[in-house]
Amino acid sequence: MTANLLTLIIFVPLVGALAVALFADERTVWPAAFIFSLLPLALSIYLLVAFNPHDNGYQFVERRPWIADFGVSYHVGVDGISLFLVPLAALLVSLTLLYASGGDIDRRPREFCFFVLMLETGLLGVLLAVDLFLFYVFWELTLIPIYFIIGIWGSQRRVYAAFKFILYTMLGSLLMLVALIYLVLHARGYLGAATFDLTDLYRVPLSHAQARWLFAALALGFAVKVPVWPLHSWLPDAYSEAPTAGSMLLGGAMFQMGVYGFLRFAIPLFPEVAREAAPLFMALGVVGIIYGALLALAQSDLKRLVAYASVSHVGFVVLGVFALDRFSVEGAVYQLITHGLSTTALFMAIGMIYLRRRTRAIGELGGLWRPAPMLGAILMVAMLSAVGLPGLDGFVGEFLVLLGAYFASWQAAALAVSGLILGVLYMLWAYERVMFGPLAKSADRGIADLAPREVAVIFPLIALMFFLGLYPRPLLRRIEPSVVAFLARAQAAPAPALSFDRAKPQEFAGLRVVP
Amino acid sequence: MISGTIGAALDASWRPVLAPAVVAITAMAVMLVGSRLGEEDSEGLGWLTFSGLALAALCAFAAVGRHAPAFAGALIVDDYTAFFYCLIAVCAAMVVLLSLDYVPALELPSTEYYALLLSATVGMMLLAAAGDLIIIFLGLETMSISVYVMAAIARRDPRSSEAGLKYFLLGAFSTGFLLYGIALLYGATGSIKLEAISRALQSSALAASPLVLLGLAMMLIGFGFKVAAVPFHAWTPDAYEGAPTPVTALMAVGVKSAAFAGFLRLLLVYLPALHAQWGGALWVLAALTMSVGNLVALAQNNVKRMLAYSAIAHAGYILVGMTAAGGAAGAAVLYYLLGYAFANLGAFAVLVAVERVEQPGTTLADLGGLAKGQPMLAAAMALFMLSLMGLPPLAGFVGKFYVFSAALQAGYVWLVVLAALNSVISTYYYARVIVAMYVNEGAERKLRARRPGLSVALAVAIAATIIIGVDPRPYVEMAAGAYASAAGIARSGVRAAFLAH
Amino acid sequence: MTPVSYYLVLGAALFAIGVAGVVIRRNLIVIFMSIEVMLNAVNLTLVALGRALGSTDGQVMVFFVMTVGAAEAAVGLALILAAFRSRHTIKADELNLMRW
Repeated sequence: MTANLLTLIIFVPLVGALAVALFADERTVWPAAFIFSLLPLALSIYLLVAFNPHDNGYQFVERRPWIADFGVSYHVGVDGISLFLVPLAALLVSLTLLYASGGDIDRRPREFCFFVLMLETGLLGVLLAVDLFLFYVFWELTLIPIYFIIGIWGSQRRVYAAFKFILYTMLGSLLMLVALIYLVLHARGYLGAATFDLTDLYRVPLSHAQARWLFAALALGFAVKVPVWPLHSWLPDAYSEAPTAGSMLLGGAMFQMGVYGFLRFAIPLFPEVAREAAPLFMALGVVGIIYGALLALAQSDLKRLVAYASVSHVGFVVLGVFALDRFSVEGAVYQLITHGLSTTALFMAIGMIYLRRRTRAIGELGGLWRPAPMLGAILMVAMLSAVGLPGLDGFVGEFLVLLGAYFASWQAAALAVSGLILGVLYMLWAYERVMFGPLAKSADRGIADLAPREVAVIFPLIALMFFLGLYPRPLLRRIEPSVVAFLARAQAAPAPALSFDRAKPQEFAGLRVVP
Repeated sequence: MISGTIGAALDASWRPVLAPAVVAITAMAVMLVGSRLGEEDSEGLGWLTFSGLALAALCAFAAVGRHAPAFAGALIVDDYTAFFYCLIAVCAAMVVLLSLDYVPALELPSTEYYALLLSATVGMMLLAAAGDLIIIFLGLETMSISVYVMAAIARRDPRSSEAGLKYFLLGAFSTGFLLYGIALLYGATGSIKLEAISRALQSSALAASPLVLLGLAMMLIGFGFKVAAVPFHAWTPDAYEGAPTPVTALMAVGVKSAAFAGFLRLLLVYLPALHAQWGGALWVLAALTMSVGNLVALAQNNVKRMLAYSAIAHAGYILVGMTAAGGAAGAAVLYYLLGYAFANLGAFAVLVAVERVEQPGTTLADLGGLAKGQPMLAAAMALFMLSLMGLPPLAGFVGKFYVFSAALQAGYVWLVVLAALNSVISTYYYARVIVAMYVNEGAERKLRARRPGLSVALAVAIAATIIIGVDPRPYVEMAAGAYASAAGIARSGVRAAFLAH
Repeated sequence: MTPVSYYLVLGAALFAIGVAGVVIRRNLIVIFMSIEVMLNAVNLTLVALGRALGSTDGQVMVFFVMTVGAAEAAVGLALILAAFRSRHTIKADELNLMRW
């Protein structure tokens, strides 16, 4: 089974999607889709167990020739960076389906399940592909389902949001395609044959100008997806117009793709240019942190608030990645996981409020704590996780990012901290207005607290938040070797002035296990 | 087996032209049979046409791997020819399937319709096989004159006769240019055989002569009209919109494939010596064609007209490949045409299915709510739009990838970047179709009862669009083998052109 | 003997007149006649070149052009007639049912 484990993980959802589309009827569609989404989850948990934490390379590798004429192979593998993102994506898809079946998606369930499962294949493929062509195929495969999900099941301005999303992403990805082909054709001269295999392409020498253009094209594609400020403008529309289940997928499982692209492709392939661009991206990350936080403060719609909070949080991740420090990169990878959890939980909680009150406007809500204390509690945990309260998962990643960023540039770290403070402000302020105070409407007195099914949906997230907040070591231990390998690639060739600071982190090594 | 029995029955010299001959004989049979039958038997005529085309495709397929000059080199029979024989016959057969519904619904004269369809197919096949300038001209005209009439065949629709007339006037105009180019090239090189012309142009003195340059320019203009390259595209939108929908499909895939077959063979195989001259011109044509096609397509509300501009845009991508020249480029263009043909045929098949008899032409509003009433049709249309958009893992993506690779390899980085940006633009108007079907509400309306033929055509188009994209190996092999045999290089040469440095 | 270039120049001039006619004139019949002028300019060029080169290919080509030209004329006039029947005009500018 381990021989084809990754292939199974990637393609079981696709099989499920086709099966659901062709055979399921209105009644069986939800359970069938849910079961099909549990299979990759179970397989990826097995993957976690079987993963060798001391190996920094790809594991469970499968490699077969595919389109020989193009030098394309079917090459998949998992390393410490993608290891935890795979079960996370699988988990979030399962929870999304479970949540959506409870009334969030009230029409065309069959199509919805088809698209979600297809999206899952794309997502897992992106995380596991080691061949650039294969990666691109999966990357684009995620685009269609989410476009449909926003366009069909979204709210008022869904068509606008869907178009904005697809045009932004296509702009990035098509230029990326051109860059990938160029890189491969260029590499042909050194490798003797064209190959899209990532592991071969690391060693290809490029002129500085070439590397700069190629990095720019790839970075554009990934930065749109992250999104890095100022390319973020599709995000608030897409997040807020999508149905709750769509927002959960976008904010929880899809935002990793862009950052992952930087970690896996853009930076290791073009380390020198990446180092040159690092200050720029750190600056953009910091701007994103503050910009997102300020706009989140000004939002009157809960979903848009979370959307801008996301802009702010991915700013942290970008800062962490481009600080190119062991702590910060580990923190960034960690945040990919924790931010996925907290954003999903937030969207879910907001969706639960919306199902009860048919509004997301902060001004129209109030005093929900009294009739629905459990809802209040989970919203509280999700928000605290998002703002990085110690003891919850968000803290670990943010702390590591700030620590690492401090070694790279203390100014950036200082500014980022201000974003953290703003984060506490907008989250708790919103929480106070929604949950406390007088009941906005007398009818609210009667709103129901969480149903058992809703508890079941959100409980795994809450449990994971506490677990990852209190006991991050098993994850970090597995992430670390791959991060070290990543940094070795990123720092390859003449090292920059950062090397002086590199000595310091070792002294703090003990800190990592303390949450 | 089939080729054996048929082949033995015929004199060896006919074997190379078996496929077009079968089509031509079918055309005569259709005319004879049709004159005896009433209009209510149009479906029978359709199936007769279909079987003739299927037989032709089989003959062409059986001829793969054989190389024989025919008729003193006027026709070239190689895998390239066989590839296009098959592609053209299959496209025409699909158009017949689309017409089975359409011809009786619009009360088109069925005998003339199918006979013209077959004679157009003969012309396309000749064009693909042309080994001298006369056959290029004859093939082009046999194809064009038939299609002019087909475009105007819906006599009760004034837009149809207007479409036919415009197509005819600009087509005949462009024929003048092509002919003049042929005359000048003949005058400069002293031969009408492509092989001899190619040899004569090896001398650099002749290649630079003004007669050759003028002739080349005239031929570029002539072919530019036929493949609908900007700025020679003015006829395209009107002809596509006004013609009966199956005829539009024939124009978009059959005429286009055949025109590119002749164009590609002429430029890439026989005039590579002049690449310095035509490369730059094609660069500009490709850039203009992509950009104008895509930008104007954004503004269209009529789906047929939108597909016309989309066809222009795709001609632009193909021209990008041709600009690059070389083994990989030739194979890439062939592959691209394959994927493009099925996605387009499928899209037109959907339009045929949703069109109303009393009001031909389909606007985006007419597609409203299709996903609810006709989920399979809507899903199929979405699939075709995504393939035309170039999303993996569909045929359109691999085609684009192949063409982009070939052009990048030849060093046309900026042209490819422009093509990529154009693809981004195209996303918008293809996605609009999807939005219209899936998001917008439309008035519930009953569609015409579909005959099985149309469903078969749809199924074939869906399967081809997916299969050619998901497992491109055999089709890449086919395209590369076909081009290699035309260019007289080894199959490994095409592969090496892409793989080796 | 008249040099071949004279014929070529005459052919080019006729061709240019034909092109100008198509571009400038708006009457469908006149446009159609201009196209015929273009074809005949080509025929003249072909014949002259064929004779100058001493090959028959040029002359053979002319036969084909004439035959095809006749077919084109038949189809073209029929199309103009059909358009006239439905629209009652032979002005190119008035054929404007379809607009982008």
